[in-house]
Amino acid sequence: MVAVTDQFAAPSAPVRKTPKGTFDLIFRNASFLAALFVLVLLAGIMVSMVIGGWPAFSKFGFGFLTSSVWDTQNDQYGAWPAIVGTLSTALIALVVGVPLSLGIAVFLTQLAPPWFKQPVSTAIELLAAVPSIIYGMWGLFVFAPLFAAYVQIPLSNIVEGMPVVGTILYSRSPSGLGILTAGIILAFMIIPFIASITRDMLDQIPSVLRESAYGIGATTWEVVRHVLVPQAGVSIIGAIMLGLGRALGETMAVTFVVGNANRLSGSIMDPGSTIASRIANEFNEALGLQLNSLIALGCILFFVTFVVLVIARILVSRVKSF
Amino acid sequence: MLSTLELSPQTLDADAPVRIAVKNLDFYYGEHKALKAINLDFRDRHVTALIGPSGCGKSTLLRIFNRIYSLYPEQRATGEIILDGRNVISNDIDVNELRSRIGMVFQKPTPFPMSIYDNVAFGIRLYEKPPKSELDDRVEGALRRAALWDEVKDKLKSSGMGLSGGQQQRLCIARTIAQKPEVILFDEPTSALDPISTGKIEDLLEQLKTDFTIVIVTHNMQQAARISQYTAFMYLGEVIEFDATNTIFMNPHKKQTQDYVTGRFG
Repeated sequence: MVAVTDQFAAPSAPVRKTPKGTFDLIFRNASFLAALFVLVLLAGIMVSMVIGGWPAFSKFGFGFLTSSVWDTQNDQYGAWPAIVGTLSTALIALVVGVPLSLGIAVFLTQLAPPWFKQPVSTAIELLAAVPSIIYGMWGLFVFAPLFAAYVQIPLSNIVEGMPVVGTILYSRSPSGLGILTAGIILAFMIIPFIASITRDMLDQIPSVLRESAYGIGATTWEVVRHVLVPQAGVSIIGAIMLGLGRALGETMAVTFVVGNANRLSGSIMDPGSTIASRIANEFNEALGLQLNSLIALGCILFFVTFVVLVIARILVSRVKSF
Repeated sequence: MLSTLELSPQTLDADAPVRIAVKNLDFYYGEHKALKAINLDFRDRHVTALIGPSGCGKSTLLRIFNRIYSLYPEQRATGEIILDGRNVISNDIDVNELRSRIGMVFQKPTPFPMSIYDNVAFGIRLYEKPPKSELDDRVEGALRRAALWDEVKDKLKSSGMGLSGGQQQRLCIARTIAQKPEVILFDEPTSALDPISTGKIEDLLEQLKTDFTIVIVTHNMQQAARISQYTAFMYLGEVIEFDATNTIFMNPHKKQTQDYVTGRFG
């Protein structure tokens, strides 16, 4: 005990280096600059987007958001069809993708036998790693022809002339390409994200809560529906918002299958376009006000996805402590 | 050490019928045999405590009665646990129905993510569809029984997660008794609670035994001595000694039991 005290108390000062601090200072400033770089980059992108899009915003005013015209001959541009396309494909993606994702996550965490759980989990991780252009090619060459032959044509024959559904589900040119196809391909792309995050959230729920729900005689469905999903609720909504963020901004796969029509149609079977696909299609030849309008479209997309991602982050981080 | 144990005057009725009879029960976690040839009788409307050092198998035994172990495919039991003339570990039993008759309260409070009212009503609604007024009465009765009514009667619609730890545990007890089970299993119900909350739960157990058969696992020997009429001492997956609580604590027959209850090991 004495020895220990001596070792620490005795000032063996000559051996000890006094901290110079020079290196420390350099290191601190270097890492500060690295962090600052991110903010500068973000600010730079935002400023150049606003400056680039400003001519379009100032010329068309609020009408830029609501106009459906996209006329390169007369230099008249409106964002409405692209905004509608972006929102409707993303909505379709959620409607199709969310139930499937929740089913996958519930099955993996609650029902799957161990020998099946691992392969499915790995498959989901791999799906998330598939480049979007692969989804696009697959959608265009494989999915769209099948979709046209087995869904669009038969469905159009059925709904033709009916009120409401005759408009929404009727396809004038059953090529397989369109808003619905894009939404379905997007659903395939966001399923891995939503499913794997939801699975992690469900896995984090303490097993004692699950056991006590089973312990009062609830069936698996009742345990999942009334206890586990509400317990992970906010985080699951966060996972869905992350998927939504991806669906809104996805470019390559959508450009392949959305049909790229500038006209707004009442049918989800008809070709349309999204903000991202419009930009991808036209930026190469765009000049003057058309380029400004595309950048303005980018601003709108940036703003929407930014808001969605902020909400998602807030929700995911608020994992309830048990 | 023995003298510091406060033994309450235990009114035990030696003629009470056996509610659960465990016969030659073995239990396996995969290849590992965790319980060996357990034979125990649990008497109706008595509190039976399971004591023993960590890993002795007392919680494992408790988790067999309501088949919670069945959630995990690698765990299995052989032997017999007879409740109402039926073997609860046989395959042809309806485990959901069984669990509604054998309630369980866990180490940590486990309120469900719903309102206080719905927490208590949840178990009732699973098997019965009582009219609203009757459901209200059942919920109030269970909360009163769990000594929680006065603290929550003005906020039945607020979340059960907002209660304190001790209140949450009493909520879980209310949820369990609302189902009118025959047997209630307590797995160290006070290990996560402060002394005052613990005292309330112990008082509650004393009350509950007039209606329910109670099995409690506890690490706290004073608690076992205070609240139980029968005690089983377990060690390494076997029941070493099972007798009236007074006998186990004052006059055990086995030396291992004596050593454990006097604090010489464990």
